[in-house]
Amino acid sequence: MTTDTDLTLRVRTALADYLKRDVTTIKPGDALRDDLGLDSLTTIELLYRIEEEFDVEIPDTDLPGLVTVADVTAYLQRRAAQA
Amino acid sequence: MTGLGVVSAIGIGVSQFWEAARAGRSGVSKLSAFESMPMEAYRSQVAGQIHDFSIGRYIDGPLAERVDRFAQFAMVATKEALADSGLQLDREDPHRVGVMVGAGMGGMVIAEQEYHRVYQKLKPNRVVPNFIPQVTLNSASGALAIMCGAKGPNLTISTACSSSAHAIGLAREAIRAGRADVVIASGADASIVPLTFAGFCSLRALSTTFNDSPERASRPFSRTRDGFVMGEGAGTLILESLDHARKRDARIYAEVAGYAATSEAHHMVVPRDDGLEVANTMAMALRNARVRPAQVDYINAHATSTPIGDGVEVKAIKHLFGRRANQVAINATKSLVGHTLGAAGALAGIVCALTIDTSLIHPTINYDDPDPDCALPGISERAQERSVGVALLNAFGFGSNNAAVVFKQFLT
Repeated sequence: MTTDTDLTLRVRTALADYLKRDVTTIKPGDALRDDLGLDSLTTIELLYRIEEEFDVEIPDTDLPGLVTVADVTAYLQRRAAQA
Repeated sequence: MTGLGVVSAIGIGVSQFWEAARAGRSGVSKLSAFESMPMEAYRSQVAGQIHDFSIGRYIDGPLAERVDRFAQFAMVATKEALADSGLQLDREDPHRVGVMVGAGMGGMVIAEQEYHRVYQKLKPNRVVPNFIPQVTLNSASGALAIMCGAKGPNLTISTACSSSAHAIGLAREAIRAGRADVVIASGADASIVPLTFAGFCSLRALSTTFNDSPERASRPFSRTRDGFVMGEGAGTLILESLDHARKRDARIYAEVAGYAATSEAHHMVVPRDDGLEVANTMAMALRNARVRPAQVDYINAHATSTPIGDGVEVKAIKHLFGRRANQVAINATKSLVGHTLGAAGALAGIVCALTIDTSLIHPTINYDDPDPDCALPGISERAQERSVGVALLNAFGFGSNNAAVVFKQFLT
């Protein structure tokens, strides 16, 4: 079973791969836009990768809630629980 | 014209390109395998490909990584051209710097990758988010503007194989109309990809007889020519007003003196057999430049190595130039690099500038068996030394499209 810690690391790793940064520089509290420098298009690209990595579809209506790395992790945890 | 930049199959960078062109080196090679595609099913198996191109070797940063191959080529050529010009764009009024790019096909690398994802894998919901920004024809002109901070007119001209000849002509017109002081005129294409290449094969437009001797396949004006060789690349020319160039004491390669744009309104891919519209286009460009045919020293021919096109172009040259046709030097840059589609006009413009600058006309390689219908004394397999005061560039495109640009040696 996937633990919270595993999930957080996978999200941070996906982000790090996308941003070509060391995973240790990405903190759960980082905001995708303000801290990690993503713009509207690159945020969507990141979420595309998250969809691929976690085999989920993220509907447009859920996007506004995904502000920080921790938001993405919590969201995926909820989706996994619903599945 | 104050700066030049090249990405080509015979060299990335003007000096490498020109050295290879002068030596008559071919950039045509065996077509690289398209992953698991059955390559034997391609009638033509030669191409003027740029091997081992990696954008990171030339330009860092996310912008360059996120555009398609043709736009990356344009960025690399433009970076070189700007450095060559000595322009410091941060000292220019950004609204007075324009960008005009000729592109025939657009972002075909991403296009074909994502077609596959939709039609083969049936995953329309998995198309990458950057698909549309990357596939659009004006992604190159947009990327150049962002890279250079150029806020003036930003246009993409798409007229197939004549695209970037128009980009040069329209850049000149924008400067003459007072809409810009500087225009970055570029041309780029990179569409040697499975579907697009197959399309040109199916059109029976490509050479097929020389699959085992690729460097011999592009042979404009030769009796044994059997179609063009697909190429890829980019060329960038920095155009600026004479006042602007003089104020900063810039090196001036040549003057863009005249331009004409016409349509044959005839056929989507075949030129008129009598060559009259081609002759008319050249005549209009010369009139625009206030130059008589007898003053033209050199023609950079469109000459793609197709059975019909080369003959029509020579017929047109004979019609317009009369006896002068036997005195003018002519070459075909496509004999070296293949047909780079949207980049062809820009590369030809760069060759015109270098020819005027160095008084050297590069060889038309593989002109070893002249077609009597195309033969003119000024076409040679060898480099020719000749002072060139006036050069004429021809470029014709699918869609019945013609362009001609006149360049003059700049005399202070």
